[in-house]
Amino acid sequence: MFTTGSKFYLGISTLAAIVSVVFLITNDQVALGCVALLGLMVSAGIIAGASLASRDGGETENATTSAAADAAPTSSIWPLALTLGLVVLIVGIVTEPLVFVIGIGVILAALAEWLVQSWSERASADGKFNALARKRILNPLEFPILATAITGVIAISFSRIMLAVSKDGSAILFIVISTLILVAISLFSLKPSIRTTTVAAIATIGALGLVSAGITTFGIGEREELVIAAEEGHYSHQECGEEKSKYYDKHVERTVSSKSGVIATVILKDGELTAKVLGIGEGQKQITVPRANPTSILFQNLDDTDHRLTAYLGKEPVAEGVTEDILTCTQMIGKGGKQVLTIKINKPTFAEGPYTLTVPGIEGTSIEMIVP
Amino acid sequence: MMSKAVEEIKEPTVKKRNPRRVVAGLAGLSGALFLASCAKNAPQDTWQPKGENAQKIDDLQKPVFAIAGVVGVIVLVAVAVVIFRFKDRGQPIPHQTHGKPVFEITMTVIPALILAGVGVFTARTVFDLAKTDDTEMIINVTGQQWWWEYDYPVQDGISAPIISSGQLVIPVGTKVLLRETSRDVIHSYWIPALNGKRDAVPGRVHTLRLEADEPGIYAGQCTEFCGLSHANMRMEAVALSKEDFAKWVDAQLAAYQSPTEGLAKEGEAVFIAQCSRCHQVNGLENANGDPIISAPEENVLAGAAPNLTKFMSRNTFAGATWDLLNKTCRDNVWNATSEEFGAKYLAGVSAECLNVADLRDWLRNAPAKKPMYADPTKLADTGGLTRGMPNLNLTEDDIDKLMAYLLTLK
Ligand code: HEC
Ligand SMILES: [Cu+2]
Repeated sequence: MFTTGSKFYLGISTLAAIVSVVFLITNDQVALGCVALLGLMVSAGIIAGASLASRDGGETENATTSAAADAAPTSSIWPLALTLGLVVLIVGIVTEPLVFVIGIGVILAALAEWLVQSWSERASADGKFNALARKRILNPLEFPILATAITGVIAISFSRIMLAVSKDGSAILFIVISTLILVAISLFSLKPSIRTTTVAAIATIGALGLVSAGITTFGIGEREELVIAAEEGHYSHQECGEEKSKYYDKHVERTVSSKSGVIATVILKDGELTAKVLGIGEGQKQITVPRANPTSILFQNLDDTDHRLTAYLGKEPVAEGVTEDILTCTQMIGKGGKQVLTIKINKPTFAEGPYTLTVPGIEGTSIEMIVP
Repeated sequence: MMSKAVEEIKEPTVKKRNPRRVVAGLAGLSGALFLASCAKNAPQDTWQPKGENAQKIDDLQKPVFAIAGVVGVIVLVAVAVVIFRFKDRGQPIPHQTHGKPVFEITMTVIPALILAGVGVFTARTVFDLAKTDDTEMIINVTGQQWWWEYDYPVQDGISAPIISSGQLVIPVGTKVLLRETSRDVIHSYWIPALNGKRDAVPGRVHTLRLEADEPGIYAGQCTEFCGLSHANMRMEAVALSKEDFAKWVDAQLAAYQSPTEGLAKEGEAVFIAQCSRCHQVNGLENANGDPIISAPEENVLAGAAPNLTKFMSRNTFAGATWDLLNKTCRDNVWNATSEEFGAKYLAGVSAECLNVADLRDWLRNAPAKKPMYADPTKLADTGGLTRGMPNLNLTEDDIDKLMAYLLTLK
């Protein structure tokens, strides 16, 4: 009365039940393992039921007597994959939403494959034709999805490696790997007689190497400076005082910004701030900026060490009777570097001034911004 | 029924146009255009340079215009000759030639030479006009919908910042550098008698050099379409002799005099209540003696409204579109000789000279006078901020008081 398929899945289900009991007895930390095992028991049970109900997909009258039924069904891993997907889904419910989503993905893929496979096996009496029919329907789905998945895995592995090795190391590694790929592909194309299995083997070895290196480096973690910079919140922090981070971006002055059409260039040289004002000339200590209008100033650092320009733009109320300085600043700029600072001052100087431009860490030199 | 419908679709009678009449009409039209270009009262005439840079442009454009004119006439005549001489009268197709190298090369070389010649002089003028290193005075010019703000940074002869709008006051014979920018959209500053145009672009500072040879008023116009009241976004450059300019600076920096009594005093209170949230009057204080600081950035989309501290020292208002002087007084200033002009301009606007009608209209309902997006029910897009000055629904009483108060601002 039990069909072959249902026996197999009932076996798995029973085994999972037994193992989960043993697991319960022998382990302290049980939650997740138990969920997985009981999940396996339930899902294998469901598939066993499905197998039973459909008599392993055979034995109905038409299914046994039609010409198409002559071709023997091929073996299929999809019921197994479906079981696995269900387990992942159940584990996902108690752990990460991502795991849950992966479970759904596996289930959908397994269902689609299983359905189309069993349909195609009965499409005609010709096994070859049936295999072709399956491909016709599924390849257009399988190829792009698989390709995306493989590309994603490779990209993630590669990025883990790059984040773990040192800055210079990553550059060298990048050059070496891309050269290897280029050389390998050139050799393949020079020797068209090479066997596809050889190419596939080499590609597989390369991919496996990459993925395992990715997993290893994922365990090692990112290189020190990245970890520290992230902890310091360096990429987002808006600190306008002296720079406390050791690993701030040293190349900000190379970023793109509108460096022309500014009202003044503020230059730090020999510990002294001066302004080169459009239409007036160099060496100024004052610049006049229109009220309530975003205005750009270019900061140029000619000092030997890195500095930032900080603008004091008045005060703003933060709570009843409490005000806070409005500050804005450039990032740390290396020697010779330039960066634009856009400021907007809403009140005239006689209301909330004086408004100033200063360099944190360098005392006693500033530029006054006059708002009429 | 039937017969009526048929009647209606009867073919319309086509009047055959008389070609002579068309030619006569066109000739009349172009004649009128030609005459219009000779108008006497054309303050924005590009052919009458009144300053160094405008002169440079004129020196370039006149010969280029002449050359282009000659070429144009030659081409038109040649085309006319070809049209009439070789008209199809059924004559046989003439002998065809394929290529005449000498002719072709000549016809390429001559225009190339002309263009190269024009190009050299054009490039030279472009670089001349861009020169700023011998600047003698700088003024920040900020455009917004639909008026220009001027502020004078502290520099030789100006001991504290000055802020004004509409009329740009400059000393004659002085190389003035305008540093233009905008608070909202792109505008363009153009005083035809003094120089070419230069766009005022938000977030950027562009320079334009002006220099006036003689005292006087030079009219201009925003020349980059900037919205509803673009046509009402005008400006004037007022050139004063150097001595008069110094007097103007002193007057601009003179301390604020709060009116002591009467209608003007009441007007000050109305102004504080109704107007000072947008308009700054430097020196105006509240009852505690604290300065009143306007907040146009919270009320107007552009973030600014004209500073009215010395409002009556100007001759025009609201984007230099309306006169603050009545007809007689205006003519008296605008038609003054260069010697007399300065003193007349510096006198500002007196009660006798005030153009009461237009200013009252403005206070009564500004957007009715100058189209502005200021209807409070339609400001959802801008978060309640107006473009321009809204209708404040003032009573005639309040307007009387405000008129008296505004007259004291000079
Ligand atoms: C919501 C802000 C706002 C308020 C309130 C306001 N104005 Fe204005 N006002 C403006 C703006 C903006 C302009 C410029 C309009 C233009 O020229 O296009 C202007 C222009 C003017 C001008 C012309 C100034 C010049 O130099 O050209 C006068 C005069 C004036 N306002 C008077 C007043 C008076 C008096 C009051 C109070 C009754 C008042 N305004 C209230 C925004 C305001
Ligand atoms: Cu404009």
